[in-house]
Amino acid sequence: MHRSSLLRLGRITKVWSRSQAPRIESCRGYATESSQSHHDLYDVVCVGGGPAGLSLLAGLRASPVTSRLKVALIEGQDIQSSQAKFDISAPFSNRCSSLTPTSVSHLKEIGAWSSVEEKRVQPYQEMQVWDGVSGASINFDWASPAQGIIQPPDSTGTIAYMIENNNLTRALSQRLTSFEDITLFSPARVDSINLGEDLHDFNMQSWPIVTLNSGQKLAARLLIGADGANSPVRNFAGMVSRGWDYNRHGVVATLAMNDAGWGGEEHKIAYQRFLPTGPIALLPLPGNAASLVWSTTPERATRLKGLKAEDFVAMVNAAFRLDPVELTYLHSLEEGQVKEVNWRESQHSADEMRIPKRVTAVQPGTVANFPLKMRHADTYTGERVALIGDAAHTIHPLAGQGLNQGQGDAASLVRAIKAAVEHGADIGSQEALDAYNRDRWAANNLLLGVVDKLHKLYQFESGPIVPLRSFGLSAVNRLPALKKFLMKSATGAA
Amino acid sequence: STKSSSVDESEISHFNALAASWWDPNGSSRILHAMNPIRQDFIKRCRSLYPPPGYSHQSKLHYLDIGCGGGIFAESAARLRDTASVTAIDPSPEVLAVAKQHARRDPLLLEPGRLTYLNTSIEGLAETLEAQGVVQQDRQYDIVTLFEVLEHVAYPSSFLEKMLPYVKPGGWLVLSTISRTWPAWFVTKFMAEEVLKMVPRGTHEWEKYVKPDELRQWFRKLDGQGEEELGRLGRWSEPVVMEVMYVPGLGWREVGGGGKGIEGLGNYFFGVRRE
Repeated sequence: MHRSSLLRLGRITKVWSRSQAPRIESCRGYATESSQSHHDLYDVVCVGGGPAGLSLLAGLRASPVTSRLKVALIEGQDIQSSQAKFDISAPFSNRCSSLTPTSVSHLKEIGAWSSVEEKRVQPYQEMQVWDGVSGASINFDWASPAQGIIQPPDSTGTIAYMIENNNLTRALSQRLTSFEDITLFSPARVDSINLGEDLHDFNMQSWPIVTLNSGQKLAARLLIGADGANSPVRNFAGMVSRGWDYNRHGVVATLAMNDAGWGGEEHKIAYQRFLPTGPIALLPLPGNAASLVWSTTPERATRLKGLKAEDFVAMVNAAFRLDPVELTYLHSLEEGQVKEVNWRESQHSADEMRIPKRVTAVQPGTVANFPLKMRHADTYTGERVALIGDAAHTIHPLAGQGLNQGQGDAASLVRAIKAAVEHGADIGSQEALDAYNRDRWAANNLLLGVVDKLHKLYQFESGPIVPLRSFGLSAVNRLPALKKFLMKSATGAA
Repeated sequence: STKSSSVDESEISHFNALAASWWDPNGSSRILHAMNPIRQDFIKRCRSLYPPPGYSHQSKLHYLDIGCGGGIFAESAARLRDTASVTAIDPSPEVLAVAKQHARRDPLLLEPGRLTYLNTSIEGLAETLEAQGVVQQDRQYDIVTLFEVLEHVAYPSSFLEKMLPYVKPGGWLVLSTISRTWPAWFVTKFMAEEVLKMVPRGTHEWEKYVKPDELRQWFRKLDGQGEEELGRLGRWSEPVVMEVMYVPGLGWREVGGGGKGIEGLGNYFFGVRRE
């Protein structure tokens, strides 16, 4: 299959007059053509080639019902260059995400999972979560005898899969470009979006027209905003997004551990400790590597980023072992945390088996941070517009759900579009899109709320909330049915 | 006996008044919009019962939608992959104007022959088709639909008779209407119109409701006609019946077993195949 002939990068046959009109396929389904407009008409125009947008388009192409829709993708970065084979032995990226088994199922269904570089994906089977103030903990492990006869969602007992974001994006874009007739505008930027006019025969007043920086115009029967937290599509549609900033930053890094973990290569464990300033999480990667996501105050984040490598490593180890008061002191030092931590640790006796192994090194250049916030659009759909992924919602990373929500959105929207096509509906109509909104908005809202409350709950360093939440956590740990419910919910199972 | 006109003037003016809000998804036509996928599903169900004889697997369908209103069904039929054409008729010029205006928003529907709206009653259809240049043999359709119309017709028997010749042999007549039962009166008239105000008052007249069994018997009686009448009106299969109910919050749901001798709770679909 010749990729170059299938990817008409940025070049579309303009339709100017009847005689030049592209021939409609005899066995046509749904593609729209217009002989009199100065725009190219598409059934679906997706702005944003991230995991959500790519998953949506691949899902549409993968299903026979929707495979004949004329679709276009607009992406700011060069997708083709991201498809270059990457070095299996290269160090791990610091942008990783945790994929639930449900997301992975969906990716398998649309045929994208097979393009993922599996050697760089780390499934994990256990999660240890504990309260940094009280020490109360909860352990999620499908295989543990404490769970009794509860059946895990799949035979491997995997809770989730750690994957580098670019591994996933690369697999999705490979899958997408394996289909014929996907029109790709990449790299390309959206200059403006306006509604069309009432032409002589065709009334385009409800149709969004996207103008690219190249001047090219695309008219969309359905415009998808998969264009991130500051979504221009959302702004065009006049949809309001509400929320707040957490006054926290997520510090990420790729770390090297002293070995493959307490469970070895076959049984990887994720750790999350709730400190008053925010949770610190260590997610396992293949071999001895691990991914760090440490949510903390902006000041502490700046301090961490400025530390020498050995001091940074010491801080990470300390964050899992020392108490919050000591950590506060350590954060106040400009350097020399290594010595301090060594000394303090010798005064402690931690149950080593219940905490992560030691971090031995940090991958140079991987320490970064980003502000944390919560946002939720009032609605995900409008006339001929739908939002998915970060354009629709932004969540605190503490539950590792952001990417999965986007995948869930994409899957749901594909289903809604399928149902519309099967029943002859206009896929951009409110009736068609309502099904997607109903399916996803409330579910996402609930998750955003729960995660938000968790964040707020664990901010307390003292007072009655601490024993209460500790009791709650321990209680959940001891109630198999409730715990199973939470675990199943976390995997994304309906 | 034939009555001269199936068109009830009071009904028409009632629907004219609704014309503007026909396509408002949150307006009073909301329930009608929600019903459309069920119509499509019912047609699929009917067709799946009889593999079409003498039709090639690839042949596309010609629809005639009678009493098309604002075109909710007509548009959806026109978009289907295996549709060749949709001819949609309605006696109300205002409502038809709304239908045509709405169809302009979708270039697919503007393709020549895909969706044609005609302002005529069933009585005037033959003449209108003639004027449009439609030859005699193209005046029979694979699927003739009559959704939410029968309950507004003054003389349903003669109305149906006028429809039958338009169904191609092997084709289907598919209609939906409301049954004349106490539950139907309660749900569609009392609750929907008066209490919940989900449907504009005066939309339905209970006396005009036809029960599914009455329809079934009517079609059975056709078998006893003379040869000439049979040729014109056709012989018809056992009907497919599906009762449905609108559940606020969930939408239209199928109810009951659809078996023989049902009184019906309220809205139902009725499909018969011309042999």
